[in-house]
Amino acid sequence: MNIKSYRLLRWLGNGLVYFILTAFAFVMLFPFAYMLSTSLKIPSDTFRYPPRMLPRDPVSQAVPGYDEPLPLYYVLVNGEKTQFALAQSNLKVGRYAPAENLSQVVERRLTEVRPTGGAMNPQSVTVDGKEQKLFDVTVDGQVIPMILVSQTTVGEFVNPQNPQEKVYQNVRLSEPVENVSAHPENYSDVIALRGLDRALTNTALVTILVVLGQLATSVIGGYAFARLRFAGRDTVFVLYLGTIMIPFVMLIVPLYQLMVFIGWTDRLVSLVMPWIFTAYGTFLMRQHFITFPKEIEEAALIDGASRLQILSKILIPASVPALATQSTFTFLYAWNSFIWPLIVINVGNEENHVLTLALNVLRGRASDTPNLILAGAAIAILPPLVVFILGQHFFVESVASSGVKG
Amino acid sequence: MTHPTQAHTPNAALPLLAAWRGLFAVLAATLAALLWTNQAPADLALWLKIVFSLVLGLAALLSLFAIFHILRRSHTGRSLALGLDYLGFVASFVTVLHLGQVFVGIDSFADTFGRGIPALGVVLLGYLIDAAGERSPFNGTQTTLRQIGRWVALIGFGFFLWQVSALQGILFVASSLANPAGFTALGSAAIFGLALWGMWRNPAAQALNSKNQHEAMLNGWLFLSPNLIGFLIFFAGPLLLSFYFSFTDSDAFNPPNWVGLENYAKILNIRFAGLESATQLARDVVDIKIYDEVGRLTWGSGGILFAAADKFFWLALRNTLTFALFAVPLSVLPALVLANILNSKLPGMKFFRAVYFLPSIAAIVGISLVWQWLYNATIGYINYFITLGIEFWNAAFNAGLVDPKIQWVSDEKTALFAVILIAAWQTVGFNTVLFLAGLQNIPGELYEAATVDGAGAWDKFWRITIPMLAPSTFYVISTTTIQAMQVFEQVFILMNPAEGPNNSTLTLVLYLYRSGFVNFKQGYASAIAWVLFIVIFGLTLLQFQRQRKSSIYEA
Repeated sequence: MNIKSYRLLRWLGNGLVYFILTAFAFVMLFPFAYMLSTSLKIPSDTFRYPPRMLPRDPVSQAVPGYDEPLPLYYVLVNGEKTQFALAQSNLKVGRYAPAENLSQVVERRLTEVRPTGGAMNPQSVTVDGKEQKLFDVTVDGQVIPMILVSQTTVGEFVNPQNPQEKVYQNVRLSEPVENVSAHPENYSDVIALRGLDRALTNTALVTILVVLGQLATSVIGGYAFARLRFAGRDTVFVLYLGTIMIPFVMLIVPLYQLMVFIGWTDRLVSLVMPWIFTAYGTFLMRQHFITFPKEIEEAALIDGASRLQILSKILIPASVPALATQSTFTFLYAWNSFIWPLIVINVGNEENHVLTLALNVLRGRASDTPNLILAGAAIAILPPLVVFILGQHFFVESVASSGVKG
Repeated sequence: MTHPTQAHTPNAALPLLAAWRGLFAVLAATLAALLWTNQAPADLALWLKIVFSLVLGLAALLSLFAIFHILRRSHTGRSLALGLDYLGFVASFVTVLHLGQVFVGIDSFADTFGRGIPALGVVLLGYLIDAAGERSPFNGTQTTLRQIGRWVALIGFGFFLWQVSALQGILFVASSLANPAGFTALGSAAIFGLALWGMWRNPAAQALNSKNQHEAMLNGWLFLSPNLIGFLIFFAGPLLLSFYFSFTDSDAFNPPNWVGLENYAKILNIRFAGLESATQLARDVVDIKIYDEVGRLTWGSGGILFAAADKFFWLALRNTLTFALFAVPLSVLPALVLANILNSKLPGMKFFRAVYFLPSIAAIVGISLVWQWLYNATIGYINYFITLGIEFWNAAFNAGLVDPKIQWVSDEKTALFAVILIAAWQTVGFNTVLFLAGLQNIPGELYEAATVDGAGAWDKFWRITIPMLAPSTFYVISTTTIQAMQVFEQVFILMNPAEGPNNSTLTLVLYLYRSGFVNFKQGYASAIAWVLFIVIFGLTLLQFQRQRKSSIYEA
């Protein structure tokens, strides 16, 4: 193989790699893009088929002679696509043709056409063995008796510059004039609709308390496991390790009864307290502290520092990345948790709903407005994404290390 | 620091501390006795009475034991006394918080917290200024910036306290405590605190011959205690309670009755029966007063009927296992491929890694709502893409494929698969990062040696990458399986009703939730939880065995 073809092959291989990666990236990002785009649409736009990514609005224009601005549509005038305003919809239109030549069809509004011979004495004609009523239809100033072939509904479109110029055509088949425009007010609407602002502050408060509380207990607990020697330490550590694999759903029943017993059901505190004391967080902090060089600590001990001083003055400042990682983990867990709030916070008590619960209620009550539902979903999803992007560096690395050591 | 040489120093506080131990023992014993008179709260369950009496009785005995050791000047007395007083202090302090309505007050705090968020932003700003000052290379600006930062943070925090009406909160807590119960709790917290302080101080330590190793032990338990106490109350205790409940008919509100193995017997009561024809009715072969048909396997002229006393459990188990069987490979195999691609040294790989990671951090509830609309049979994007694909195919190859227009969530054949796709989409990025870390730990020399020996890329992948990646693979597969066995949220949000058409998306956790919190058969729900745990444990063990057999690489 010569160098040239080797390079070409390599270039093609890299192209394939990037193609696969981009395709996967598209799959991963598409639902987020769909969420954002839909959350900025108006309801009618969300139900359109085929679906479109960019949110669009129908365009209206003020037309002389009409009180309100009229929606614009594209209509064919002399074979040219022109923007006309829809003045009236649901107009009943009959398609008329002379009995002797059924292919010569003209369209007239039902109200414009009178029966031949007047309403009292209508005339009729027999076509294909069927008796058909005759109507007086004016074509180019001439009155011709015709029969009604079929009926349809059309809209009356007027030229916005010259309202006398009218065109009739089917509204549904007409293409509306639209421009790309976002509706960020969906976000404020959904917040007002379901008290999502309160749910947002509830979630934020619960998350902050859980993150701070869990960090505090797991840092000092992890330090005790890593650095202090005491009778019973290893037994307790094995106990902790053994419970890490136990799924949380094992606990929902007894924990709920515990909350009933204390009187914490329906209270935000029930979303905070059980999450502050975790075996897993303590285990992670222990794994971190154990890698810290012992010598520094021993020197500080000889200088008369207490354990708490060593922890707060030496170890914690040196462990910011590990603490940030664990906080991010806890943040995501607390922010996204659903089954426990669903169990312990009453459906009726919307004051104490967290975001995930509020979304669950919203799903049922606003099922005809996907734009609002997805705006709510975006409110729940975006803050964790921001936290992730800010803490990305720490976070991905540490997920990786948890797997290697795991 | 204590000095053993100064042992046997007389200490004035010691007799007082010993006397307090005596009083403590008497009080604890009295309280335990009072629980069995009509002074006790009437709604206290019997088992709680027993637990409380045992705890108090044990505390009284230990306290007497501590007196004995204190008088003998042994450090055991000090450790015991510190332990008892510490627990007493924690209990009184928590009671103070409880009576002061601090815990339930979080609700009122949440009411005003929203107003304080901008002020928290100011605090953050102050912190950032401080951090900027710390990194500043100039000494002058360093101190100035740090000072400014601290003041900004302090003012921001003060503003926050004012915005959330902190003063009113404190006044409310104080007024809630201004009653006999509140004063008792405050008083006992103070007494326990005082006793702790007296025993902790150096004079007492020296008098009781405390050595460095004893100090280390006390420190260790002290540091571990916040986490350990919470862990026992909110994890280990409930876990034991769950085991107990699984033998009762508990309904969360009335005292539970012991029913023995009844719950487990109902779950596991199954029956297989031979069928004479494929369409034979279940009532002809099993007692349908007890059993419901779960499914049947038929062939030619016969078959086997599978019936169970609780058919929903077995349907849920079937669905959950099916879910795991598809969701795990779908989220592990693409992850393995992607990780191998991302491990190349091409530019932009960190970007793709971050993009793939995004779905795993988004709230499952929100994600499921998004997918619900993507799955919409008439206007959803998924069916739209399928239609586009089929039109393209038909045009390109002149084929006559018919657009299936899949009713994703309302067709019982596809409902579970729809949930599987969401779960796979959400976990694949997380698994990719785990695999990537495993790959980066494989020493490059192995590949170099293989290249020298003339191995191709394919050989290297199968002979080096796969075996060396076995620990990561084990970790990825077992965590993904454990997660998959607990699938709940996607189903709960996506399906309406949650069990899906014809129970096709009824999962074990959903059934557990139904039994425990819709029908309030919490004893039964606990039994389901333990069966679920055994299934998960068994699957993990199975993978562990296979990993040990197949791996040549010791982690």
